[in-house]
Amino acid sequence: MPQSFMQRHYFLLRRLHSLTGIVPIGLFMIVHLITNSSVVWGHINTPKLLSEHGHKLDAAGVTTIHGGAATFQHEVNFIHSLPFLILMEVMVLWLPIAFHAGLGIYFATTGRSNVKNYKWGGNWRYVLQRATAWIGLAYLVYHIGTLRWGWTKLIPGQMKWEAEHAGSTMAAALQGSTENITLLGLVVIAFYLLGVTSLTFHFANGLWTAAITWGITISENAQKRWGYACAALGVFLTAAGWAAVIGFAGLDYEEARTAELVVNNQLETSTMPGPMASDLESEILGNTNIPTDYSAPAGLAPSTSENQH
Amino acid sequence: MTNLSEEKTTPMIAPNTPEPAKSRTVRFRIKRTDGPGKNSRWESFDVPVEPGANVISCLQYIAANPVTIEGKKTTPVVWDSGCLEEVCGACSMVINGRVRQSCSCLIDQYAPNDGDVITLEPMTKFPVIRDLWVDRERLFYHLRKIQAWVPIDGTYSRGPGPREDPEHQQMRYKLSTCMSCGCCLEACPQYTLEEHEEKWDEAFVGAAVLSQARYFNEHETGKRLKSLRLDVLSGPGGVNDCGNAQNCVKVCPKEIPLTESIAAIGRSTTLHSITKFFTGK
Amino acid sequence: MSGSANQRIAIVGGGLAGLAAAVRIAESGMHADLFSLVPVKRSHSVCAQGGINACNDIARQQGYSEYEHFDETIYGGDYLGDQHPVLEMANWAPRIIDLLDRMGVPFNRTSEGFRDLRLFGGSLFKRTHFSGATTGQQLLYALDEQVRRYEAEGLVKKYEFWEFLWPVIDGEGENSRCVGIVAQDLRTMQIRSFRADAVVMATGGPGLVFGKSTNSVMCNGGAASRCYQAGAWYANPEMIQVHPTAIPGADKCRLMSESARGEGGRVWVPRKPGDSRKPSQIPETERWYFLEEKYPKYGNLVPRDIATREIFDVCVNQGMGVGGGNMVYLDLTHKDPEYLTTKLGGIMEIYEKFVGEDPRYTPMKIFPAVHYSMGGLWTTFTKGSYNPETPYGSHKSGTATPIDSEPGRGMAIGATNNAMTNIPGLYAFGEVNFAYHGATRLGANALLSCIFDGLFCGLGVVNYVKDEVTPEHRAENLHASIYDRVVKQEQDKVDRLVQSASQGGSDPQTNPYQIARELGDEMTAACTVVKTHDRLTKCIENLRQLRDRYNRVRLSDDAIWTNQSLSFTRATGDMIILAELIALASLERKESRGSHYRLDFPERDDANFLKTCTGEYDPATGSHRILWREVDTSLVKPRARTYGKVEAAPEKKTIATANA
Repeated sequence: MPQSFMQRHYFLLRRLHSLTGIVPIGLFMIVHLITNSSVVWGHINTPKLLSEHGHKLDAAGVTTIHGGAATFQHEVNFIHSLPFLILMEVMVLWLPIAFHAGLGIYFATTGRSNVKNYKWGGNWRYVLQRATAWIGLAYLVYHIGTLRWGWTKLIPGQMKWEAEHAGSTMAAALQGSTENITLLGLVVIAFYLLGVTSLTFHFANGLWTAAITWGITISENAQKRWGYACAALGVFLTAAGWAAVIGFAGLDYEEARTAELVVNNQLETSTMPGPMASDLESEILGNTNIPTDYSAPAGLAPSTSENQH
Repeated sequence: MTNLSEEKTTPMIAPNTPEPAKSRTVRFRIKRTDGPGKNSRWESFDVPVEPGANVISCLQYIAANPVTIEGKKTTPVVWDSGCLEEVCGACSMVINGRVRQSCSCLIDQYAPNDGDVITLEPMTKFPVIRDLWVDRERLFYHLRKIQAWVPIDGTYSRGPGPREDPEHQQMRYKLSTCMSCGCCLEACPQYTLEEHEEKWDEAFVGAAVLSQARYFNEHETGKRLKSLRLDVLSGPGGVNDCGNAQNCVKVCPKEIPLTESIAAIGRSTTLHSITKFFTGK
Repeated sequence: MSGSANQRIAIVGGGLAGLAAAVRIAESGMHADLFSLVPVKRSHSVCAQGGINACNDIARQQGYSEYEHFDETIYGGDYLGDQHPVLEMANWAPRIIDLLDRMGVPFNRTSEGFRDLRLFGGSLFKRTHFSGATTGQQLLYALDEQVRRYEAEGLVKKYEFWEFLWPVIDGEGENSRCVGIVAQDLRTMQIRSFRADAVVMATGGPGLVFGKSTNSVMCNGGAASRCYQAGAWYANPEMIQVHPTAIPGADKCRLMSESARGEGGRVWVPRKPGDSRKPSQIPETERWYFLEEKYPKYGNLVPRDIATREIFDVCVNQGMGVGGGNMVYLDLTHKDPEYLTTKLGGIMEIYEKFVGEDPRYTPMKIFPAVHYSMGGLWTTFTKGSYNPETPYGSHKSGTATPIDSEPGRGMAIGATNNAMTNIPGLYAFGEVNFAYHGATRLGANALLSCIFDGLFCGLGVVNYVKDEVTPEHRAENLHASIYDRVVKQEQDKVDRLVQSASQGGSDPQTNPYQIARELGDEMTAACTVVKTHDRLTKCIENLRQLRDRYNRVRLSDDAIWTNQSLSFTRATGDMIILAELIALASLERKESRGSHYRLDFPERDDANFLKTCTGEYDPATGSHRILWREVDTSLVKPRARTYGKVEAAPEKKTIATANA
């Protein structure tokens, strides 16, 4: 009987499935969630940043631009400075995720849950591993589709995410508008929380089972200890994920905008003075107490909204 | 021993027909199927509980008195059993939703109150022959497939076998107590009913068989077939099909460390394929 | 002359004996068809717990020898065992252990990695090899695995869930030969014949004749009974071993291995009759270790028949049983719990699961239960090279043995009649072979005799098929009518039974389950620990009534698919016939010997009964004929079997407890 490709390379495919879940997908998720959670804990040394770019500081040497949004923008800028970004994205993320998901769907069809009669932790995790895979996959498609592939129509408020305004556009995408959280925005936020939790569980539990599959943890005690480690990682990543989602959900659009301007160094490059600038200054900077003696940039924010409409 | 009266000779060995104790009945709801492909139905029986009764003795009662609670005459329930002391593995069935050996299911502990209901169903992962009796041939088929034996050079005298560390012996002993009862397979969400033998090569072998592979791989001579076993277990239906729900180890009546065996085979297949990749063997 | 590729050997029974035979036969390149009521891995051999006996290097250095193993077995069996086969078996025992070891049996190990040994009944030397307390299971699995290997190679074909119905015998009288079997698939209910140039019966014992015993549900002796009805002789049917230590349940009695005593377990009752205190609260001085007092030399490890009768005497005659009932304590609580788990884990678990108390901390309450049949199909053999002028007397440990342990001393290697019944081509291996255990089997000798038969006598079967079955007599060349006749006979039987069916069970008079239950009660009452003329006479009358009732039996299931009721009922009829023979032989043997204890004839009577009781069945009249065959005692001279008994009573506390 001739064997199919799957039969001939079964072991390799199975183990690649396991491996891709950890590297690169899992590893990326760790970096991604930590980066994104910077919207909460992020803190940019604004005086230093400003002075580096030739801005004068006020007497007190302080500023109140949003540190989280600024840090986030900083990180996004770094990522976007990497060469061959699209190629890397395809090779390191999209293909592995497609592979992992495709094989995963195939494998998931081979089992039948029986948690009704065997209500044990391991069995629940087995069920959850599969449930979170489906939820996580749906979430990822939405997440990547809306923010990366321009399925803007699926975003309430239809705000397009842009790398140079990473935090503010993200906040708008979650909240459903640039002003406040809409009802649809709440749905999106809830979906984000669910999706992120699903994926962190899926990853942490997958990491635990992978150690058995590969034969790293053999004894019951080893499996238990590694289980605690994975659970801790899972809790940490979930916290990071939730922090990011909640952080963006609570992020003020305008405030983020300012931080992004600062980080993107666009304040300095501006050369167009005039009423527009001052309008802008009062409009954008609003009640922030950025030192008044620097010249405000022009033509920054409007460009995005023009693109938008 | 001269004063021995006849009456005294009888009770020494536990009598086959025990004295009627304070009467109590337990209701058995039994899923019945007349044969492969036939529809199943439920029948209930009230069974008086003898002291020391277990599910088997109740089924024996039903066999002798096959009348349902509605007073309908029916046929004796068909079931599989053997040693009745949990070493042969024959009498696995699904009792109140959970698979176990029926011989060790003592009524006094399991259903202590008058009128308690016990539900009996055949295992669901194997084709039903009739009523509670299922065909577990797939398990033995897979044991043949992984070459579950020690390849000795014939049965004529060749001196003793290899010496063995007592700790290692204890580990192997535990694995060797597997009685192929199929409980681990019944409780496994990844092990699904597969009636057709031609599909067994692709179907998951389950914890029992993985653990047996480990058992033989751990023997000095049994090891000679290790790479052949690992080739089989690397393929479809092998160790990679395990979903780590770990129900197997929980339902195993012999408390065999099945999940450790699965991980051990996981490690072996990992090393085996790396070796194979680099040596081509 | 050598065999043809189409020659096949049918093996009935997939326990240790059947599997060992299958391996030996397949190894010789011959095809074997293996029939079993259950998947062979579930055979009753799994229930054997304690171990397997063999002389070994350590015992040898202490003065023990294969010869002494042989001598113990003969002495233990009260001189009814066939001496030549027993000698051969004892000599092969160490080789069999080595072989099992090579097959991967996880024998318990010493810290240096050698096979561990334990003490067992009827010996003063550690000669029992063991694998936890599930030795039978481990041994069976090892052989099952080897058979699986030959099954994969195509040399063994398994027929599991097939019931042996009848042997096919060609020819009459002297010229008759067994040429196959008729069997029924218990799932499809198909009945068909199987041609075979030799048939090996390895069908175990008839425990179910006694209702509840330590045996598995398929041990009904039906196959042996059918061979007996077809003309095979049945020897020493009255020799039924009642094991002293078992725990009763509603469905069966579960064995508590003799190894519990081998590992130091002590049997006792409170000195005060009816003492209601918990065993742990009864101080040492108020416990009566009656076996240790009465048998200072062997202590708790006297042979089973003696232990059973002593327990019986203490409980029934003296009214000293625990709580006034018929039970005694088997106490292991003085041993280290961890040690017990390692050495006896299997039986500790059984007691815990089925009684609900942990024997590591609470003494076990135990009862005797029917356990083993020394009797079985009569078999013959060809003597080996050791045939002394005069039989040897008592052998003393450490002294020179009259013969070395080379193979072939007791039985001729490869002789075609080894373990053959009176019907040529029909063999009996294992428990169904009467040859080895005489009037009582010593613990841990059963596994040995099963494997020995399969391997040693299996060779003879191969030689028989190759050398003694001439081409025109080969099963493949025989006329179909020889087989069809037996198929029809069995089909008719089945049809009669199925036609009797009435759903819902018949009245108790004709209900097969009721008849079987009464049979068990009757046999347990009349034919076990203590037998009397009056009770046996009454038993025979009661059995006659049961047979009458059986002739009117009505099934409760007329299904033509997987009709278990049919199989059970058919076996019940065969059990009644075997029971009649057991009762009759018990009545006729007017002496006490080994497991057979007659209250009215309490002494051994060598002059009249140092003989093999042989039953022959007359199918025309349905009657039994008992013949007494001389026992060949040319190797060992019979001596008194006392096991160093001394007087002891509960109130005495003076006798030292040796072997404690």
